[in-house]
Amino acid sequence: MSENYKFDTLSLHAGHIPDKETGSRAVPIYQTTSYVFNSTEEAASLYNMEVGGHLYTRISNPTVAALEQRLAALEGGASALACSSGMAAMHLVVSAICSSGDHIVASSKMYGANINLLQHTMPRFGVNTDFVNPNDPEAIKSAIKPNTKLVFGEVIGNPGLDIMDVPEIAKICNSKNIPLVLDATFNTPYLMQPFKHGANIIVHSLTKWLGGHGIAIGGAIVNGGNFDWGDKDKFPTISGPHFALGGISFWEEFGPSALIAKIRAEGMYNFGPSLSPTNAFHLMQGIETLPLRMKKHIENTHSILDFLVNHEMVEWVKHPDLETHPDHEVAKRILPKGSGSIVVFGIKGGREAGKAFIESVQLASHLANVGDAKTLLIHPGSTTHSHLSSEAMKEGGLTDDMIRLSVGLEDINDITKDFERGFKAVKKLNK
Amino acid sequence: MIINFKGAKTYLGTGGKSLDINKRTLCFLHGSGQNHLSFIQQARFFAYKGYSVIVPDMPAHGFSDGNPCKSIKENAEWINDLLVKLNLKDVVVIGHSQGCLVALELNRILKNSLEALIFVAGSNEIPVNQFLLDLSKENPQKASQMMVTWGHGIDGDMSINKWPGHSHYGEGNNIMCMNKPKALNCDLNSCNDYSDGIYAAKNIKVPALAVLARNDQMTPLKSGLKFVELIENCETHILDCGHFLPSERPMELNSIINSFLSKLK
Repeated sequence: MSENYKFDTLSLHAGHIPDKETGSRAVPIYQTTSYVFNSTEEAASLYNMEVGGHLYTRISNPTVAALEQRLAALEGGASALACSSGMAAMHLVVSAICSSGDHIVASSKMYGANINLLQHTMPRFGVNTDFVNPNDPEAIKSAIKPNTKLVFGEVIGNPGLDIMDVPEIAKICNSKNIPLVLDATFNTPYLMQPFKHGANIIVHSLTKWLGGHGIAIGGAIVNGGNFDWGDKDKFPTISGPHFALGGISFWEEFGPSALIAKIRAEGMYNFGPSLSPTNAFHLMQGIETLPLRMKKHIENTHSILDFLVNHEMVEWVKHPDLETHPDHEVAKRILPKGSGSIVVFGIKGGREAGKAFIESVQLASHLANVGDAKTLLIHPGSTTHSHLSSEAMKEGGLTDDMIRLSVGLEDINDITKDFERGFKAVKKLNK
Repeated sequence: MIINFKGAKTYLGTGGKSLDINKRTLCFLHGSGQNHLSFIQQARFFAYKGYSVIVPDMPAHGFSDGNPCKSIKENAEWINDLLVKLNLKDVVVIGHSQGCLVALELNRILKNSLEALIFVAGSNEIPVNQFLLDLSKENPQKASQMMVTWGHGIDGDMSINKWPGHSHYGEGNNIMCMNKPKALNCDLNSCNDYSDGIYAAKNIKVPALAVLARNDQMTPLKSGLKFVELIENCETHILDCGHFLPSERPMELNSIINSFLSKLK
């Protein structure tokens, strides 16, 4: 009986039913590199991509596949592929679609590593990117050239928290027959499902809210299956003949799942950024409680926003759920459950005040991660984005005094008490 | 491969191999609102086993242009003309769902000159409720989503897939969205209007195989079992899955078909 299960149920169950042999309720960790073939014929079938199955864990693995199928179900995608990190996911997508001479249009307000990949690494391989303001659809439209192969952005920018108007940008991409690729790490499918708004491909850092416990690095690509790759001149890597597998055209043979088939056959095969089965298991454990955690993350975020906005030591606070945020209206429209649990704020006293605050709090951890169940803090200007020039930092919406807060699941009174400890240290410094 | 057939661009999946008219040809016929991608895990499998394979996208389906056929008979005539155009003689026809009705009619046109008939999740009749008929006209995308949900067994609900990372629902919805908007309504009306199945089934004189699905909500098992009773000596198998048997149980289906084919002359 088909049920069309809801999000909370899929978070727990999608991708796995207890196998009849062992009855294992949890997804087993298939900690193996390879799989015994029953015959040479079966081996050939797998190598030729005649049927689905596993032949080597660099390409696919049953535990990793359960995670992939859970993500595809939660996002409403046609297929998904999990890999070693969010950056690996990003690189796999870019390298699957683009070749030397191709062009990308990307948001200028993104995570430093995303910018680095497109600004510095990919040009060495002949793929160039123009960076534009993600809140300016006309700028995106104008930046698209005949050789543009994808438009890339973050639904919620890191760390500036700009909100991309996904439906508007999707309309532009659709009219130009260019896939819209979104990093949806900060929203997770609980807060917003980009395919429903017209996006075509999603990349995730699973390390963050989806995994949610800061114990495993992982990434994923979810393919909406809603993009027509049929233009062989424009997308030869997806619809033209592949160099192996008898010159397979992934678009003709796999249709909506062409991109994932291509990445598995080439990216995973040739680059090898596979996710370990044990990490896939840890990440799935996190996803089981994603709806519960996200509710609490948002609840605590709204409480901490009230606290910070009204605090005498705080110079400014930025979060898309605040009316003062320039993208507040867009956020209300596309992220009605809340705009994530990252808050950025500046402390009166600038860089030194920020430093004193971070070094004085005890409960909140000073580290380079977000989306953990625990509250985390960092000063991007001196850490995650330190390699960017002042101009690039300004373009990305960064300031010297900015503190990035990833709101955790602790009792909100304990978080605010901890912050008061930090503010007390700043007060001493300012005297 | 793409050919110009009856004045329209027509796509034929060949399983990644060239069509060789000197080999036995397996002709796969897709169901309502589907296209060649219904047989992702059959086309390539059998092409690499040495058969010639064609999986036509019927007019207005998948990569094919043209106007959708308006009856099962029209579908069968279209396929017959295609086989003539391609000069295919040694042909086994494998139908899924609506494709089974088309196969029945094609066999009537060809007067039992096919090498064999294979029915996957099929019956001699596929009545369609008025709600779905109306919805397929007013909102084919919504109708497709409902069919994808009803059509899959628990593997669809739970996102279980033999192909790592693939989602039956996500993939199924998008496969159906590839068709021209009128295609689904024409298909469902064709199924609903078809009433010659009993005679066509009783008329079968060629080797026949039926693979039915225990949890089929589109062509229920009860109906499938009545159907196979009409066919003389129909080898019958029942698999634990929903209507989208080719993607839900690909290996089991391929194995059954392979074994059946090996017994043919």
